[in-house]
Amino acid sequence: MRSQYSNLLWLSSFRFLLKHPWHFGLSILGIALGVAVVISIDLSNSSAEKAFELSTEAVTGKATHQIRGVAGDLGEKVYRKLRIKAKIRKSAPVIEGYAKVQKANRTFQILGVDPIAETPFRDFSSQQAGINLSDFISGENTGLISQPVAEELNIDSGDTLSISVGGRDFEMRIIGLIEVDDERSRQALESLILADINTAQRLFGMAGKLTRIDLILPEDSESVINNIKVILPDGAAVVRSESRTETVAQMTRAFKFNLQALSMLALLVGMFLIYNTMTFSVVQRRPLIGRLRALGVSRNEILSTILKEALLIGSIGTIIGIIAGIFLAQILVKLVTQSINDLYFVLSVQELTVDAMSILKAIVLGIGATMVAALWPAREASQAEVSTVLKRSSNESKISKRIRPLAIIGVLLGIGGVGILQIPGGDIGAGYGALLFMIIGFSLTVPLLIVGMTIILKPVFGAIGGLIGKMAVRGIVTELSRTSVAIAALVVAVAATVGVGVMVDSFRTTVVSWLESQLQADVYVQPPSSVSRNADAELDPGLIKLLVQTEGVAYSGTVRSVDVRTNNGNDNLVAIDQGESAQITYQLKDSSDDFWQRYKNEPILMVSEVYAYRNNVQLGDTLFIETDLGRSPFVIKAINFDYASDIGTITMSRNLYDQFFEDEAISGLALYAKEGVEVEALVHELREKASGNQEVFIRSNRGLREASIEIFDRTFTVTVVLRMLAILVAFMGVLSALMALQLERSRELAVLRANGMTPGQLWNYVTTQTGVMGIMAGILSVPLGILMAYILVYVINLRSFGWTLQFLITPSVLFQAIGLAVFAALLAGIYPSKKMAEANPADALRNE
Amino acid sequence: MLLSRGNSQSAKSMTKESHIQLQNVNKGYQEGEKFRSVLDDLEFSVNEGEMIVLLGRSGSGKSTMLNLISGIDSPDSGEIKIVGTDLAKLNEKERTLFRRKNIGFVFQSFNLITTLTAFENVLLPLKLKNAKGNDDLKKAQYFLDEVGLGDRGDSYPDRLSGGEQQRVAIARALAHEPMLILADEPTGNLDYETGKKILDILNELVQKNQRTIILATHDRDICSIADRVVQLQGGKLHDVTNEMMEA
Repeated sequence: MRSQYSNLLWLSSFRFLLKHPWHFGLSILGIALGVAVVISIDLSNSSAEKAFELSTEAVTGKATHQIRGVAGDLGEKVYRKLRIKAKIRKSAPVIEGYAKVQKANRTFQILGVDPIAETPFRDFSSQQAGINLSDFISGENTGLISQPVAEELNIDSGDTLSISVGGRDFEMRIIGLIEVDDERSRQALESLILADINTAQRLFGMAGKLTRIDLILPEDSESVINNIKVILPDGAAVVRSESRTETVAQMTRAFKFNLQALSMLALLVGMFLIYNTMTFSVVQRRPLIGRLRALGVSRNEILSTILKEALLIGSIGTIIGIIAGIFLAQILVKLVTQSINDLYFVLSVQELTVDAMSILKAIVLGIGATMVAALWPAREASQAEVSTVLKRSSNESKISKRIRPLAIIGVLLGIGGVGILQIPGGDIGAGYGALLFMIIGFSLTVPLLIVGMTIILKPVFGAIGGLIGKMAVRGIVTELSRTSVAIAALVVAVAATVGVGVMVDSFRTTVVSWLESQLQADVYVQPPSSVSRNADAELDPGLIKLLVQTEGVAYSGTVRSVDVRTNNGNDNLVAIDQGESAQITYQLKDSSDDFWQRYKNEPILMVSEVYAYRNNVQLGDTLFIETDLGRSPFVIKAINFDYASDIGTITMSRNLYDQFFEDEAISGLALYAKEGVEVEALVHELREKASGNQEVFIRSNRGLREASIEIFDRTFTVTVVLRMLAILVAFMGVLSALMALQLERSRELAVLRANGMTPGQLWNYVTTQTGVMGIMAGILSVPLGILMAYILVYVINLRSFGWTLQFLITPSVLFQAIGLAVFAALLAGIYPSKKMAEANPADALRNE
Repeated sequence: MLLSRGNSQSAKSMTKESHIQLQNVNKGYQEGEKFRSVLDDLEFSVNEGEMIVLLGRSGSGKSTMLNLISGIDSPDSGEIKIVGTDLAKLNEKERTLFRRKNIGFVFQSFNLITTLTAFENVLLPLKLKNAKGNDDLKKAQYFLDEVGLGDRGDSYPDRLSGGEQQRVAIARALAHEPMLILADEPTGNLDYETGKKILDILNELVQKNQRTIILATHDRDICSIADRVVQLQGGKLHDVTNEMMEA
C-alpha cells in the first residue's frame, strides 16, 4: 500500500492522462508514427548498406589492391605478365558482371574466377573449397551458387539455370553448391553466382579480357606497385580495394541523407504534435497546478512531473514506433533498393537487417524529441504565478500580450534562417537547419496572423451563420493559447506536404520538359541494363546492322556508355554519334561559342551540371581521363543539363572516343524515321526483325519518354510514401488537438445548451469553429509550404545534387493542402459536437 | 469592547511576541495605465492559537492578504514575519517550501486535486512534507475520520458533495500539522446549513489541534466563533468590536 502512495504527484499526473484517453492515445500515436518513419528509413538505408558491404566483401575477399583497366576492362595478357614477369604470386583474375536469373526474377552478380589462383583471396571460390575443377572448366557454362540460394530456387547440383545477360539468354549448369556456415556468409552470397573465367568471358562478351586483377600486397607496397606499373598497359592502374566502396558510399550519400532528412520531417511534425499535446495538457491543468502550488509543491516538482509524463508518452510512443517502423521498413527497403538499382548500382537486399544502432538512434530521437517538445510547456507550467494560475482568463490575456513579441521573435528566427543560407560553402545540413529556423519562426507568427484573419473572417461567417458564426470565429481568439498551438501544428504539417509536393512537381516538370528535348529520334534501341539509368550493356553489332538497314529508317545515331577513371575518380563517360541533331538534343547551360563545331574532332568534351557541381569543375578546366592511349587531357567546353544521373556524366563525340579507346561497342541506338513513315509501324517492324536475336528494348520516342518518367516516378516513391506518412502524422495531430480542445470545452458548451442552444445549433457552432481553424491553417500553410519548397528546390536539391530545376507551383497541390486542413479540422469537430449534442447539459454543468 | 472568544487584543498592540506580524505592507496591481493599491501600509499581528476572522467586501483585498501571508505572493514593500521568518525576504522556492511546511489552506472552491482520491488528497501535504514511516497514512486516515469521511477515502472529488469536498479540504489543511490555517471564504460555495456544519468542524479541529487560523469571509455571522475580528477596508485593517457588529 505504501508504494502506491510514494509519489502522489506522479499518481495524480498519471491518472490525469488516463482520464483523457483520446488525448493520451493520440499523442502516443503521433510520436510512434514519427519514430516509425525515422527508424524505417534508417533500417532500409542500413540494410541496403550492409547488403552492399557484404556482397562487396564477398567479391573483394582479402585483396588489398586491384589492377583496373580502361573503360571497365583489362587485357588478359596483363595477368600472365604479372605472374611471370613481375612474379606477383598473390594475384587473381576476376570478371564481374550482372545477370538476371529468370527463376528468381532478380539480378545476380556473376563473379568469374580462376579457382587455382583464388586460395589466398576468397574461401568460397578456391580449389580448396572443394570446387570440382574438371566440371568447373569444362568449356560449357557452369557455375556455383550458395546452398540457401539453391533451396530458394528449388534447384540442386546438376540442374540448369536460365539467365539473361544484357538481353542475351544463356543456360548455366550448376555444378556445385557453396556451403555457408554462418548468417554473414549466407547474406554475402545470396545474390552471387560463381563462374569460371572462361564462362564469364563468354557471358559478358569479354573474350581475352578481364574486369580486374586482385592483388594482396604487403603493407609497404610502394616499390612493388612501381614494379607492377612497368608491365601495365596505358591507362591501367593499381588502386586500393576499398576505393570502390568509397566511391559507392559517396554516390549514395546525398540520396540517403535526403531520405533521412525527409523522415526527420515526419518526426518534426510529430514533435509539434507532442508540443501541442503537452501545452494543451498543461493549459487544461492550470487550476490543478495552481492548487498544487498553493499546497507547497515547488516549481521543480511541477516541471519534473510534466517531464515525467512526457517521458512516459515518449517511451510508449517510441516502443510502438520501433515495432511499427520495423514492419514499415520491410516495405521501404524494397523501395529504397529499387531506387538504388534505378539510380546507382545493382543491389539486392533480400532481408531487413535490424541493427542495435538504429534502434538506439530511434530511442534517443523518439524520447529526446518528446522531451524537447515538452520542455517549454513544462517550463511554462512551473513558472506560472500561483496567484494567477487558477484563472484561465489571465493566461489568455497573457498570450494576447505576447503575440506581437512572439511574432517579432518569429520574424527574427526567419531572418536567422535566411542568414544561415547565406553562409558560403554551406552543406545540406545547413540547408535543413535554415529550414527548421524558418518553420519555427513562421509558427511563432501564427497567433498574430490568426488574430488578423479573425478580423476578416468574423464578418464573413457572421453573414453566413449569424450570431453562431460570429461566436465560432471569435472563440478562436478568446482561447488563443490553445487554438494557436493547434493551428500552428496543422500549418507546419500541411506545409510540409505542400513543400514536398511542390518539390516533386517541379522536379517532374523539369524532367519531362528535358526529356522532350533530349529525345529527338523516333525510335530507341537499348539492351536491358542492370541499372535503369545506366546503359551499361552492349548491343550486338549484327543486330545494329539489321536495324539500321530496315526500310523506313532514314539515319541513326549511337551512344556508348562506359565507366572510366579520371582525375576526379570513377566517372561515367558517354560517347555520342548523333550528327546534327546533337545540337538540338543537348541543352547547354554554358558553353564556348564554337563548341558544336569543334566537339567532333578536338579533345574537348561536355560535362553535366551535376558533374560540374560534384567535382567543382567549370568551363575551361582540363579533365584527365585514363584512356587506351594513357592519361589524356580533355578540356571542358560545355556544361549540359542532365537529369538522368545524379552522379554526373562526361560526354564526348564518338569520333573522339574512337581515337582514345579501343572499343567498338555500342550501348544504344537512336533511329530516325523517313518522312511519312508511321513511327509505331516502324517500331513494330523493327521488333519483328530483332526477334530471335539479342533481347532488346525497341521503343518509340513516346514509349521511351513514358518509361523514363516511370523510372523517375519510381525513384520518388519513397519520397511520396514519406509525404503520405507526414500527412498521416499531421492528420492525427490535428485530430487530437482539435478534438481535445472541443471536448475540454464541454462545460462551456453545456452552458450554451442550458441557455437554449439546440443540438443542431451546437453541432453548427463546433463544426464552424473547427472548420474555420482548418481554413486558417490551410491558408497559412500555403506560404510556408511554398517557402519550404523553395528551399528544397533551390538549396537542398542544389547542395545535394547540383540540378537546376524549374520552380513550379501547381494549384492542385495548394487546394489539396487547404482541403486536407479543412477536412481534418471538420472531422475533428464531429465527435465532440455529436457527444455534446447528445449529452445532458446538467452533467457537464455539475461541479467537479 | 472588542469582539472576542478568549483573550482579546488590538490589531496593533501585539508587536513584540506576535506569531504573525505584518508591518507596512503595501501591495497593488497595474491595471492598464492605472495602478490600483490593494493593501496600503497595512499593519497586522496575530498570536499563536488565535482565531482571526478577516471581514471585507468582494475585491477588498482579503485573498491578496492571505496570499501574502502564505507566501503565494510577495508584497511590493513591507515585512511579513511568521515566527520570525520574513517571507518578503525569501525567494520563490523558499516561500514554497515554507508554505508546504507551515501553512494549511481551505479554499472557497475546495480546490481538491481531482485526480486523487479523498484519502490521497489528505495524504498529499504529508507526503510533500516528507513524513516518514506509516504515520502519514494513519494521520491522513485520522483526519479523514475527524471530518466524518473515514469511509469515503476511496472516493474521487467528483463523487463527493460540496460539503463533503470542503470537509476533505479541511482534513487536508490540518493533516500535516501546519502552524497556520488560512481559510478563504470556506463556506462561500455552500448552503447555510452545510456551511454552518463546516465551520463547526473547522473550529473544533483548529481548537483541538491548537492551530492559528485566519478566516477570510464577507459573512458577518461567522464572527461569533472568532477570537478577534478585523475588517479590511480601503487597503487598511480595522478592529471590529461587538458594538460595531451589533450596529
